[in-house]
Amino acid sequence: MLNIDGFAYTNRLRQVHPLEKAAFAFITMFLCIGFSLPVFSCIIILLMAYAIIGLARIPMKVYLKLMSLPLSFLSIGVLTIAVSISTHGFGAAQLAGITISGINIGITHSGLHSAAGLFFKSLGAVSCLYFLSLTTPAVEIVDVMRKLKIPALFIELTDLIYRFIFVMLATAEDIYTSQSSRWGYASLKNSMKSLGQLTAALFIKAYHRSQTLFTALSSRGYNGRLNVLAPEYTVSVINIVIIAIVESTLAITAILLEMGKIG
Amino acid sequence: MKTRKTLVYTVFYILGVMLLLPPNAYAMHIMEGYLPINWAGIWFAMVIPFIFLGLRSIQKTINTNPGLKMLLGLAGAFAFVLSSLKIPSVTGSCSHPTGVGLGAIMFGPMTMSVLGCIVLIFQAVLLAHGGITTLGANTFSMGVVGPIVSYFVYRLAKKLGAPIWLSVFLAAALGDLLTYITTSLQLALAFPAQYGGILASLVKFMGVFAVTQVPLAISEGILTVVVFNVLMSYNKQELQELSVLTKEV
Repeated sequence: MLNIDGFAYTNRLRQVHPLEKAAFAFITMFLCIGFSLPVFSCIIILLMAYAIIGLARIPMKVYLKLMSLPLSFLSIGVLTIAVSISTHGFGAAQLAGITISGINIGITHSGLHSAAGLFFKSLGAVSCLYFLSLTTPAVEIVDVMRKLKIPALFIELTDLIYRFIFVMLATAEDIYTSQSSRWGYASLKNSMKSLGQLTAALFIKAYHRSQTLFTALSSRGYNGRLNVLAPEYTVSVINIVIIAIVESTLAITAILLEMGKIG
Repeated sequence: MKTRKTLVYTVFYILGVMLLLPPNAYAMHIMEGYLPINWAGIWFAMVIPFIFLGLRSIQKTINTNPGLKMLLGLAGAFAFVLSSLKIPSVTGSCSHPTGVGLGAIMFGPMTMSVLGCIVLIFQAVLLAHGGITTLGANTFSMGVVGPIVSYFVYRLAKKLGAPIWLSVFLAAALGDLLTYITTSLQLALAFPAQYGGILASLVKFMGVFAVTQVPLAISEGILTVVVFNVLMSYNKQELQELSVLTKEV
């Protein structure tokens, strides 16, 4: 159903401490966004690809498919930045363009440059996010949030929502299958009606389920707090040293590249 | 002659955007890493007060009605599942955060900011829609602006004596449109155009996303009305029980 979630439980880095994985993903991500250098972003994309395919053993085909998911937003977003619109033309800066009823639509060198930089930067950041979500189950990401002192109510709601996502998803899929097997999505009008009924049924099901859950919990002495034991992980000194070395190498590379660009 | 040429270009442009959009576009979540680091931080700072107020109002209701926590948990999961369904629309079917209008009417805008934020975290982690660094910006447009607009439009329309279907339609459709305008504004502020600055950039982003978002807003409005009608005719009792949340419905 959600294949990212499946891989999070079965990958080779499952036993590594979640805080170590989160630190690795987020420090790299901030370096990637902090320094907007296309070459540096490409290094990060390759590094994360190695960590995901080589270390966590996620199949390459799956990973490539996941990396193509954000391309729809990215292609539109990047093209919008690459294309400039003006009423007085761009002069020599213009590489190509057309004029429609007095409005110039064109591509300029600097627009193209910033669009390309943004393209690689976003893909680099996305690969860092994929590293975290493909190697760390959501429950453990919530544990990391707990260590960051985020309010307890927020964490509890997050836990509850995660647990129910799968129940609701299965219910919605069952309803969808039975509707579409009765031509429920054969036309636009039918689709509207079916989807409306699905949503309403799902909402009422969620409502009743929450009531039964509360009854069940109250009868077992629920007092407003759901306490669960977090799985224990051993902190690995070697991992921390490796992460520190990789991150500082990345930071030095970025600074050198930045200086080279200026100089 | 000139208008015909413009028309031809417009048709080509719409076809071009539709060609670029895969059948399953989650176009309005700003993706991971797209915003520069300073803008990501600013939107986080803008969202935190709303989350804080939302948590406080939830805590207050939970103190008197402890079962509500379970309901909010299921409501969040419901919103997540809805966002992974495809809404039928003229420009192909498109996935979308459907719950915004519906949730705002039922649970109130403050609660929705918290639920919206959590749902967006799971969308980023489990589905790779949106991202962690852009979480602040996405929560602001989908969890704060959208629900507030929906909620007040619904209240206002009801007060002015509009029939309930019209109030629901306007709430859902306008909430959706404002969400899309907010996202375009966020993108324009982060990437002002070289020629014409923020305003030109805003026109560009709104123009590109209008192709999918305007029909979607209308579809979502109609869909929310259908949902509301089903709920009103078959589940009136549940709706009344729910009214602890907004004091009316």
